[in-house]
Amino acid sequence: MDVNDQIHAQLVKAGVGLAATLPDDWVNGLIRRVAQDNAIRHIPVSREAETIAICAGAFFGGVRSVAIIGNTGLLTCTGEMATLCLRHAIPVFCIVSNRGSIDDHMIYQEVQGRRTIPLLQAYDYPYRVIDKPDEIETIPDAYEWHRLQKRPFVLFLTKKLLGLKKS
Amino acid sequence: MKTNEAMKVLASHRGEAIVVCALGTAANGWWAVTRSEDSFYMHGAMGFAASFALGLAVAIPTAPVWLLNSDGSLCMNLGCLLTEAGQQPSNLKHFVVDNQCYQTVSNMPMVNQNGADYAAIARGAGIARTLTIEDLAALDRQMPDINAAPGPYFIHLRVEAEQNYQRPPPFSYEGAEMKYRFGRALEGKFGIKVFGPTGF
Repeated sequence: MDVNDQIHAQLVKAGVGLAATLPDDWVNGLIRRVAQDNAIRHIPVSREAETIAICAGAFFGGVRSVAIIGNTGLLTCTGEMATLCLRHAIPVFCIVSNRGSIDDHMIYQEVQGRRTIPLLQAYDYPYRVIDKPDEIETIPDAYEWHRLQKRPFVLFLTKKLLGLKKS
Repeated sequence: MKTNEAMKVLASHRGEAIVVCALGTAANGWWAVTRSEDSFYMHGAMGFAASFALGLAVAIPTAPVWLLNSDGSLCMNLGCLLTEAGQQPSNLKHFVVDNQCYQTVSNMPMVNQNGADYAAIARGAGIARTLTIEDLAALDRQMPDINAAPGPYFIHLRVEAEQNYQRPPPFSYEGAEMKYRFGRALEGKFGIKVFGPTGF
């Protein structure tokens, strides 16, 4: 079972039935894995903030959901996360690549690396960085906890966790 | 036609539809006419009522879902049409209230005012069923067919711009209260569970 199989299994355990996604190199494997599961409604979107609103809508339909996007996309979503999710206390569970980290040397990713987490802190969006395989099993707890927090929650996946080669 | 007149016609044909309103004129008009608490009124996230309605529609595929979008909101996220077309939600009707201006901010003109064909844009994105309606009689006449047809269906409603009309949000509740009123209404109406056993 590779890391994407493990994350998918824990999302299933958390009761996730819908995934709204936009590709990023680091999370493409997870997006493909989720898309293979016919029990999860997969909604590819045209821009990342759509994932936030789709998951918010699914919440009111009683369906547990996840947004799977890249870190660059997360930066573009923070306004919608605030004016929709904070405004109305709607939980949205986001899985995001930890792009721009010290082991990510792709030039496009440099800006967000040191800035995303301070931005999340400013908005008071809880987050967690998962770096080791044995932390994946905390996903169902994190899912339940984010519902209790009633706001967006970001689970970052590191390059080391995803087993990616150096760029 | 005027926005509230169009809203009254829509309300008379609503049936069991869940309604999601883009912020501004669409939300304010629907509230003014219906005082409906089993509707969701966006207070922000301009452009993303369409995505919210899509998430709701696929989550409750047996329930009709109406999106009351606006021209300003649609133009802020035209990509929503591609996402909607990609899913082909058979229970979603996408109305766009087009007054050719940003009415709740002093009627400032829309980008490319009067120069865009929104129904053509929707068709180009992959939504096969589209319609443009410019008067109340046609709206009233078309609604039974719109309700009976499968979605996604994009209905462009051309309305008049009105001066100093419903600028402030008129709702008597907001924020988390809107979440709970809307969620509890859907639980009661459709027998679904939005909230857990201890309320969150």
